[in-house]
Amino acid sequence: MNTVTVALARLLLVAAVFAMPSFAADDEEALKKDLTAVIALHGQPCGEVVAVKVLAQDDYAATCKDRNKYHVYLNAAGRVIVEKQK
Amino acid sequence: MRVAHAAVLLLALAAGCSRGQRDAQAPEPADVVAQSATPQSGTPQSATPQPAPAATPAPSARPAAPRSAREAAPPVAKKPVPAPALDLNALEAQLKETKAIGLFTKITLKNQVDDLLDKFREYYQGKSKVTMADLRRAYDLLMMKVLSLLQDEDQKLASAIVSSREAIWGLLADPIKFATFQG
Repeated sequence: MNTVTVALARLLLVAAVFAMPSFAADDEEALKKDLTAVIALHGQPCGEVVAVKVLAQDDYAATCKDRNKYHVYLNAAGRVIVEKQK
Repeated sequence: MRVAHAAVLLLALAAGCSRGQRDAQAPEPADVVAQSATPQSGTPQSATPQPAPAATPAPSARPAAPRSAREAAPPVAKKPVPAPALDLNALEAQLKETKAIGLFTKITLKNQVDDLLDKFREYYQGKSKVTMADLRRAYDLLMMKVLSLLQDEDQKLASAIVSSREAIWGLLADPIKFATFQG
């Protein structure tokens, strides 16, 4: 009985360890998709966001498939700003 | 956050105008927003105040039965053209629920809706050089953006917006309705 519990606990731990990156990956993909849409809505070339760096809350550096880079953030007025980076 | 607010604005815009008219029609495939208002032909450019399409969907057929004096008193016919009822809660719920659009995208769309509303406001105040045709173009473009974001992952909401499209335009293109909406 005791060993079963221990085994189960181990199993759950392993499952949790493997599951965590999966959630993180899903979140990151969602964020990339979101930023891709935002950049497109601003009429900027991008294609698809392939990498995102979180600079702060609601503040991102996005790298596009076409190598364009953008600073995407929410300003104090509640507007989403997309600035092309050199 | 503001997303819901933003989306509500967008969809309030989208659904608001048409809501009242939906009930009168045959049951459409779900959707709170899609009330495919009585097909108001194409671009209702001017402010031709339309005859308030039967705001209350013909409950008048029933009251043939004898009523008490108290009920019969208020004349049924003359109703002061009630503004189309907005089910903002339902809209807000739909917008909150949709996962087809990300947070930043919703905020961006809200920004663009606000910009468009500003253009209409300036147009009606005579402060702008844009024409109604320009505004229609901007409106169509914004709708296309919204639909392209929704159509793959939230077809229900997308079709609701499509069916409300002309009704929304009717709201925007009528200065009186627009003013009411703004107020």
